Amino acid sequence: MDFEAVIGLEIHVELNCATKLFCDCPNRPGDEPNANTCPTCLWLPGAAPCLSQAALEKAALLCLGLGSELQPLSAFDQKVYYYPDLPKGYQLSQAHLPLSRGGGITITNERGEARALRIHHIHMEEDVAKLVHELEGRQPISLVDFNRAGAPLVEIVTEPDFRTPHEAMEFLKALRTQVRYVGASECSMENGTMRVDANISVRPRGSSQMNTKVEVKNMNSVRHVGDAIAFEIARQSAAVQAGEAVVLHTRLWDPDKKATLPMRAKFEGPCVPDPSVPAIALTPAWIETLRARLPEMPAAKAERLVKEHGVSAEDAAFLSADTDVAAYFEALTAHGVSAKMALHWIATQVLPAVRERGQELSASPVTPARLAGLLTLLARDEINANAAREVLVALFQSEASAETIVSARGFRQISDTGALDALIDQVLAAQPAALADVRNGVGKATGFLIGQVMQASQGKANPKRIKELLAKRL
Amino acid sequence: MTPITLFENPNPAPAVPDGPLYGTRVALQPTISVAGWPTDAGSAALAGFTALEDATVVQRLRQAGAALTGLTRTSEFGFGLHGSQAGEAVRLGAADAELVLDMMGECRVAAARAGAYGLTPSAGLLSRLGFIGLIPSMERCGLLARSCGTLHALLAALAGPDGRDLTLEEAPPPAPAPLPADARGVTLGVIPQALDGLPAAQAEGFRAALARLATAGVAVRELPLPEYDLFALVHMIVGSVEASSCAGRYDSVRYGRRPPGAKNWNEMYLSARGAAFGTCVKSFLIQGAFFQFERYAAYENACRIRARLVAAAQRLVSEVDALALPLPDRVPEDITAAPLAETCAPFGCTRLASVTGQPALAMPAAGACGALQLVGPRLGDARLLALGETLATVCRGGK
Ligand SMILES: [Zn+2]
Repeated sequence: MDFEAVIGLEIHVELNCATKLFCDCPNRPGDEPNANTCPTCLWLPGAAPCLSQAALEKAALLCLGLGSELQPLSAFDQKVYYYPDLPKGYQLSQAHLPLSRGGGITITNERGEARALRIHHIHMEEDVAKLVHELEGRQPISLVDFNRAGAPLVEIVTEPDFRTPHEAMEFLKALRTQVRYVGASECSMENGTMRVDANISVRPRGSSQMNTKVEVKNMNSVRHVGDAIAFEIARQSAAVQAGEAVVLHTRLWDPDKKATLPMRAKFEGPCVPDPSVPAIALTPAWIETLRARLPEMPAAKAERLVKEHGVSAEDAAFLSADTDVAAYFEALTAHGVSAKMALHWIATQVLPAVRERGQELSASPVTPARLAGLLTLLARDEINANAAREVLVALFQSEASAETIVSARGFRQISDTGALDALIDQVLAAQPAALADVRNGVGKATGFLIGQVMQASQGKANPKRIKELLAKRL
Repeated sequence: MTPITLFENPNPAPAVPDGPLYGTRVALQPTISVAGWPTDAGSAALAGFTALEDATVVQRLRQAGAALTGLTRTSEFGFGLHGSQAGEAVRLGAADAELVLDMMGECRVAAARAGAYGLTPSAGLLSRLGFIGLIPSMERCGLLARSCGTLHALLAALAGPDGRDLTLEEAPPPAPAPLPADARGVTLGVIPQALDGLPAAQAEGFRAALARLATAGVAVRELPLPEYDLFALVHMIVGSVEASSCAGRYDSVRYGRRPPGAKNWNEMYLSARGAAFGTCVKSFLIQGAFFQFERYAAYENACRIRARLVAAAQRLVSEVDALALPLPDRVPEDITAAPLAETCAPFGCTRLASVTGQPALAMPAAGACGALQLVGPRLGDARLLALGETLATVCRGGK
């Protein structure tokens, strides 16, 4: 039988707010354990949660960035479960009245078709504490670190629109880009600021029935999400083929075994509205003010780059995948660098160099203005590409302009006919065999001669001019 | 005899040299956080818990110059009055006022029991930061004292916005309508359904009080409310579900004693909670868990009905100066664990205000006049106290 999968995702994104969701403690989970705590986020008796306005704004901005409709009224509920990472017994989450509904992302599937994948809703919730399991002598102990307790999260719940691991991965990549655009989170699965659970079921291809789903957790990269979904589709298809029933349960992805394994379920009950946090009423005016703060989103930006700069759709997608890269590109073109040259230099030189140095593009010492200075010299043939690459290295090391570096280090290329002719004379005299080859039509001999002239000029000759002058001589 | 106090403040001297409550001795319950004091809320589940910070109301008591005398014994989480000594410190003159957590009328019944006045202020008027109760949407800081004047001074010092409790009213309460010059201009509303099923003695005391007031010129109007029984029902369903959900905070795992022998976390949680809670609280939580897990739709219905009842009660109050409701002035003496029904029995007439969030003032019995409750419009607390003062004079036989 031919099966197709029905997949929905639940994506937790940790907002990069300065403070936690319901108190003023720093939102820095990585600090010394339990350093960032207070009675509210230790969930002590008597504590009263106060919703952070900054977290609400950031969450709302994220919703708008994903095209999800902010609801005029949303509220927090108590999601009851008992586990030592949640010693108060319930998590504040928006179960009944989420912050926003709808929205989605359009991706390109394996067959190159556009697929609109819908978001069901987005809600806010507080993160739970972190359990650390250790040995004290031979006694296993579990320690609780509350630094993460009460950290601001949003959960993005999709419709079960996905059919393949590829679609899930593309969605996650696009989601990450968009959330980074609005500046709400780093969305790193590796660092745990984005956590993805996948709900997966299978059915005969073409059927519209919804079968029992299995939830898979614990993937810590986009790649693992794809692998876990692929494994689970295969596992369920085989089970159904063998006549076994799929039962509702949760499984953990084991990256070493490359398999999903069943886990013990947590006790969970229906949510009761929380009376301590007032309901959130958003006015249309507030929403519009927030919308005005929304940056140009990736799809719109890519479209504009194609229109304004004539780059290909693929290049536009590459540039707009990172708002810093797109901004860098546009700054270069604003300084008069051609789109083609800007794109080429960003992709092949600047990004690798910045990455190698562990810098952020937006904070790199090689600003678009300084790089434009270099690329202008290159475009005017005042230096050649080899020299340009060396000047780039120098730009990273000093604050001097490309112009100054080129002059000081003698990188300016020799285009002067007299000087080049003299070098050519010298090479032709020294390489009679190559000269004969060229005259006999051995193509690569020309390249060899150009190389020799370059060498004689210590790399400063203009290769284009050499070629022209050589052609005249031969 | 059971001692009244659980903890006596070794340094009761006021923290500031003057203030509107300077020298007023106030006793608290261990359901209200005082930094460094044992705040176990009367539950073994919180045995050994010491509050890290003052409740906002405690901070304000200190700022106003009050002398904090200590903690009185409380029922478990302040729920009901079994095992509670609320009101006794005032009755015996050991304190001028008490703060008593009120979730179904505890402060009002305790006041009547002690022959004192008790105010359950409007919901949203006093910060709830630092309270350790069971029903967040109904728990309020009740004020208990020998006179309406003291209640007024307490209310003025404690009420008002608190950046740490965002459920509070932001705007100051509306200016109260002027009060009639004396009892002759006052109109009280009586809900006839509230008298159904009342113990004969209590009904008699209530009628006597109304008769006395009428003689002094107070107009008494009947305001039928066929849905009256729903207040108790809504209170039991909504209150118990909230308790079942939020009592996870009091799990006896971080505080209290964990019974030994559990094989895993789950077992440890179950046995710790099972061992820690008293019979009454346990029944209340089980009832709440039943509605939460098995009859969630009934809970949602109860929430909808509550909204309707709030509107109905506010409409009734708007037709008169205040509603008058009966109030028992004694609770069964049995101090040991009582079943849920028995614990809740004295609160038949106090739940209306607990459900609606309206202010309610308990007036003590005087002679043949039984104790009674005045329920005012939301945020009409100051006027309600002034009304209480006028009517108290009448009940005590004055003019
Ligand atoms: Zn905190």
